[in-house]
Amino acid sequence: MERVDISRLKMSVNLEPGTFKRGQTKIKHANPMGHGIPPPLPSPIGPQQALAVADSLTRTVARPLALLMEKLAVAAAAAPREGRGAEDDEEAAEWAWSWGAGTDGQLGNGGFDDHYLPQPLLLPTRCRGRVSLVTGGGAHAIALTNDGEVFTWGRGTHGQLGHGNLENIPQPKLVKFLENHTITYVSAGWNHSGFSTDSGQLFMCGDGSFGQLGTGDNHSRNLPFEVAYFNGRHIDKLASGMRHSLILLKDNSVYGFGSARRGQVGKCVSRNQKSYNVPRLIDGFPNCKIVNIYANGDHSAALDESGHLYIWGRALIGEQDDDQPREALPSLRVSQVALGWHHALVLSGELYNLGVYRHQKCDLHALGNAAGKPSNTSATSNSHDRPSSLSTLEKVPFIDGERVVQIASGTEHSALVTGKGSVFTWGWGEHGQLGLGDTSDHASPQRVDIRDNAPGSLGVYCGSGFTVAVKLA
Amino acid sequence: MSAYDEVEIEDMEWNAELKAYTYPCPCGDLFQITLDDLRLGEEIARCPSCSLFLTVVYNAEDFADAKEPPHKPSPSPVAVA
Repeated sequence: MERVDISRLKMSVNLEPGTFKRGQTKIKHANPMGHGIPPPLPSPIGPQQALAVADSLTRTVARPLALLMEKLAVAAAAAPREGRGAEDDEEAAEWAWSWGAGTDGQLGNGGFDDHYLPQPLLLPTRCRGRVSLVTGGGAHAIALTNDGEVFTWGRGTHGQLGHGNLENIPQPKLVKFLENHTITYVSAGWNHSGFSTDSGQLFMCGDGSFGQLGTGDNHSRNLPFEVAYFNGRHIDKLASGMRHSLILLKDNSVYGFGSARRGQVGKCVSRNQKSYNVPRLIDGFPNCKIVNIYANGDHSAALDESGHLYIWGRALIGEQDDDQPREALPSLRVSQVALGWHHALVLSGELYNLGVYRHQKCDLHALGNAAGKPSNTSATSNSHDRPSSLSTLEKVPFIDGERVVQIASGTEHSALVTGKGSVFTWGWGEHGQLGLGDTSDHASPQRVDIRDNAPGSLGVYCGSGFTVAVKLA
Repeated sequence: MSAYDEVEIEDMEWNAELKAYTYPCPCGDLFQITLDDLRLGEEIARCPSCSLFLTVVYNAEDFADAKEPPHKPSPSPVAVA
């Protein structure tokens, strides 16, 4: 169902204190019939435009909605425009976007709805040009600035936002607890979060029920908690999966903690050991310098400085999980990796896909044939039924000819940025996570229409069912 | 339509509020199957937010007369500073 885009109105009209602060919610409740959608409103609107819309609404939709529009018009007429008006705010928002599943506030656009097209992500204007990294979890996200500030938003039910409560927050909020630290790296898991500081400390918060906070217990925490295990050792990178976490130390060692069911945190001491809440060394790497680590779902991966890729945890190909790092794709010199829940993207000049998208509506092979329809019934069954036939390395059918400079993966969708700064998405689209204006799935990368006219490079990042694009520092 | 994935009941989490076993759904919500479902031999856990569903692997005898979740419930979120 379409809805009145009141968020634009909210930004455009200077309301007096106390008047219709939660305009979006009120509108939704005032329009129980859900039909008679008015045309999109110009923004910013003046009092006359709002009155005109109010007039048309009186004829087309529920009267309470029209009354509200009239009040907005009165407020617009009464409130003088400040020097830094609504237009500036709108303009300022055009440097960070989000789209896809939004019911926990994970789009950071002030609302709790799914959006099929890029929405302004409400990071503070002072962060413009300073965001160095965004990471998405199950339904929350973390943004890091190049001077070490951290913002979180979305689902907070397990304390994963680090604000000292369990609330969902629909817009980015500074993590005050970390204000006295300079954060250098962040990572979001399903319901947990990790932060490392310039002095090498590790802080974790959120769901700890599988030991994924590494704190030696299975408690959840709603404020960042320092993981004492690494005291005195310098954290370089972190990565968070569904129920596990990986740590790369400056001394080149890789540690894991949390769920161990699929081998994602290394070898289990016994078959009965299902999780570890104390960090444990993951060995088995050859003599090499690890430069990055990755986690999503029950998968783990690491990349060394020569571009060798190591994968462990739940099987991406076949059915055999692996509890120690194995070199994958030895013939490729890999520069970037992005993990989903059943697939991995591997950038090595060309872009490759390992594994398959598992949601039943997007079978790459089924969608890839000429008719665009499954050619036979077996093509629509998932990889679980067909362990080896389709779960292989394939070149991503990206025919645009542009160089791929950055990649990202959600659970069942993927995104890339080209050298020219265009964002493309593909995979599962049921919640609008592809940002193409609908809920279709796509087997090959599709260009996302981001109204981005300013110079500078874009970064694209994925949470489980949502996507974020930000103008980089 | 085929199941998104197959999950053993012991890998699901008991959610007292929902009175259901849950498992993360790729959309961000949770696949859910209630104790009543399990008693009746249901094998499908659905996500309330999307079209995907899971096949749940469990021993039906464990749930035939179950009034409480027979598996150790996961600790509920504790607000620990």
